[in-house]
Amino acid sequence: MSASVNRLNKIHFMLTTFLALYFLLASKQALFAGGNLLIKNANILTVTNGVIPHGDVLVVNGIIKQVGQNLAAPPGTKIIEANGRYLIPGIIDTHTHIALSGTNEGTEAITPEVNMADVINADDPSIFTALTGGVTMVHTMHGSANPIGGINVVLKLKWGKPSEELIVKEAYPTLKFALGENVKQSNRTLLPGRPQRYPATRMGANAIIRRELLKARDYMAQWDRYNQLKNSKNPPKNLLPPRRNLRLETLADLLRGKLIARCHAYVATEMIEFLNLAKEFGFKIGAFEHAWEAYKITDELLKAGVGISVFIDSWAYKMEAAEGIAYNAAYCTKRGILVSINSDSGERIRRLFNEAGKAVKYGLTQDEAIKLITINAAKQLGVDHLVGSIEVGKQADLALFSEHPMSAYTRCDMTIIEGEVYFDRDQLLKEREAASTKKGGI
Amino acid sequence: MDRQLKLHKQGFNRMIPVVLLLAVILSFVSGLRATPASDEVKPAYALVNCRIYTMSGQPIEKGTIVIRDGLIETVGPVEKITVPPDAEVIEASGLNAYPGLISAHTNLFLEVKEQTQPPSPEEFLTAYTQPSEPQEFPDLLIFKEIKPKKQTIESYHKAGFTTVVVVPNRGIFQGQSVVLNLNSENPNQMVLKQPWALHLNFTTERGLYPSSLMGTVAFIRQKLYDTQHYALHLQKYNSSPLFLKRPEYDPFLEALVPFVVEKKPVVFQCNNQEDIKRALRLVNEFRLNAILTGCNEAWRVAGQLKAAKIPLLVTLDFRPPTTSIYSQQGEATRKKAETEIYPANPATLFKEKINFALTTFGLSESSFLKNLQAAIKAGLPAEAALKALTVEPARILGLDKQLGSLEPGKIANIILTKGELFDEKTKVVRVFVDGIVFSYEEKGQ
Repeated sequence: MSASVNRLNKIHFMLTTFLALYFLLASKQALFAGGNLLIKNANILTVTNGVIPHGDVLVVNGIIKQVGQNLAAPPGTKIIEANGRYLIPGIIDTHTHIALSGTNEGTEAITPEVNMADVINADDPSIFTALTGGVTMVHTMHGSANPIGGINVVLKLKWGKPSEELIVKEAYPTLKFALGENVKQSNRTLLPGRPQRYPATRMGANAIIRRELLKARDYMAQWDRYNQLKNSKNPPKNLLPPRRNLRLETLADLLRGKLIARCHAYVATEMIEFLNLAKEFGFKIGAFEHAWEAYKITDELLKAGVGISVFIDSWAYKMEAAEGIAYNAAYCTKRGILVSINSDSGERIRRLFNEAGKAVKYGLTQDEAIKLITINAAKQLGVDHLVGSIEVGKQADLALFSEHPMSAYTRCDMTIIEGEVYFDRDQLLKEREAASTKKGGI
Repeated sequence: MDRQLKLHKQGFNRMIPVVLLLAVILSFVSGLRATPASDEVKPAYALVNCRIYTMSGQPIEKGTIVIRDGLIETVGPVEKITVPPDAEVIEASGLNAYPGLISAHTNLFLEVKEQTQPPSPEEFLTAYTQPSEPQEFPDLLIFKEIKPKKQTIESYHKAGFTTVVVVPNRGIFQGQSVVLNLNSENPNQMVLKQPWALHLNFTTERGLYPSSLMGTVAFIRQKLYDTQHYALHLQKYNSSPLFLKRPEYDPFLEALVPFVVEKKPVVFQCNNQEDIKRALRLVNEFRLNAILTGCNEAWRVAGQLKAAKIPLLVTLDFRPPTTSIYSQQGEATRKKAETEIYPANPATLFKEKINFALTTFGLSESSFLKNLQAAIKAGLPAEAALKALTVEPARILGLDKQLGSLEPGKIANIILTKGELFDEKTKVVRVFVDGIVFSYEEKGQ
């Protein structure tokens, strides 16, 4: 008798273990289809080529093969019935800090030697949170504690895949800069005896960046001199190469055009200062982050060809955001500036489509608004040849919405990256239901 | 009356051998208590009639091990070994002999400054406003800080360990470890290798730069590049000082030169799978002679580890790291992962044919056996577990010529157990370290 009880116990243990493992992994397991899909009968918002009602998208090996109506799929292709729901390109967040084990190297003001690619955490649940809102790609950045922060990284949100498979190597390599209140630490309470970190003013922030860029120039000259001597006919005896300085090397890469600046800035004057600095040193600015007062300097931004990555309407949360206006994104778009809407948060990231939708209230059409989180974002990250619209030849990063994605009543039902389904609302709800009714589930 | 006397006499006669044996045991035990000084001539022992797991071939069912002067003189089946006349014979029938276990990562014998009470506001402010103490220790020899304690040694003996590596535990460049034989409380007598390796940890618990993980990686890279440059500068200057300004003396870089340039071993502490990848990138960039320790998420990066061919010191601590998905879905999931998923780490590495040693890093001696049993239950063959605590660590430490197996000429680090090693009820009854015997037979046995 005791043997049979033991056996029952054993079976019970094995069952519960199996179920527990299954449900644990189910949440991390995408429904892999080998990158081959046919999505049928969707309202396709291509973003770059208008709307295709009752359209189909055929995906082969993760690439969009055909976009049209009544498409046929090779045998064995996974079919997704959209039943008239809305299919859009995967949403791209141009400014966030998710999937990282660290945000700021805040001890020093100048830290371009740090690289966010060193601290990717593919286990961050925010990745899944983002997927539930149709986000497929993020520009995940160093924080804004330092005038010169660190090198950022662009990731695809392939939940459950190892960190190295998330990195989008084709994206622009970008370096984070920051200006204003965060940098001068104006909202920080100092303990007695602790000195205020330099810089403590906006002039200081500009000056310290300038000083570091001058150092980088010297550093480059040092190496040029060394290489010249080394390659000369009679190199001097005992020639010693300069010491490698990772901090200045990163800045040298910025000056050489191998890195693009992304600058956190709020007020118009500091943005103008930074544009001047870029002109003086000949480096490229990818976009201003937050840029609440961009509407005041649209001519200058247009002339410099610099875009902005902004919130839609959460202004006035600190002094330097006091002159922000909710019309900023819409107005700058109408003036011809490349605008994207960002989340800057692991929570807001799941309703970026709502944020973009608000731009309709502030004067954009639905078609213009959806660009703020798709093709415009792709352009700012240098990946618009790969993603950002539903076009033949692009990667099949897609999101299926129940209603028009710019509607207040919509929700994301499915998120696809390179033809693999990483989020399926129905499937997930079924799994939860099953887990809650079976004993031993989590 | 006569009969009674006779009986009494007989009883007395019968008592003689018992008394003699008692005397032998007493002298033996008292010999134990007084740890022999290192200049004393050590006695020779012969362990006879035990089952011997030599780790260099099939176990010997009934064998003899002769120990002389701290080394193994001979080992083999009883019938083939002649016990030298001067050897003290230890009858060990029914007992198993194994090589002493090695834990290649411990923080034993280090003084812990325990904070009993939270600091007062004044103390906090004083500490906060004082200039911070240096937080990096590349030139620290942990050997100089150890204070061996008898109690710790005994508890390690009882768990089967005769050899440990003591690893420093502060900072990013933590300092240099030492390999010790648990033969006494005298550090000099204990040393097997000093220093062994430089230890690095991707820590962020600091007030100064770097205080973030990406800062830590950048800091390590910069220091390693600096060391390369410093060594090149020194080398050029030493070969000819003409037209070359002398390098400014830098104790930090000076301490790193043997490890970065001369490729002495560097051990990276890897607390999660991303730490392992970070370490592998650094090893690749700087061509270091590296070993990874911690590694309880090695199972998640087995492919990369297999390709890298870097030895691992794998802890039997199965708590999922805080970064892990299993730590971020509530306590029930975390606990389940600790008992059902992470114990399979060593088994996975074994199946992937990745070389590893097991360590007690982060564990108490009591949880060591429990966790080892869990690892075996999760699929690690007991034989592989034994190798991972003897032969493998000896090889990784570069001490495989003198440790890890029971062969003539090797150090006499031997444990005698009642029962199979790693079984729940098994007791370690005797331990030989450098031939010095410690007895843990309980009263009444």
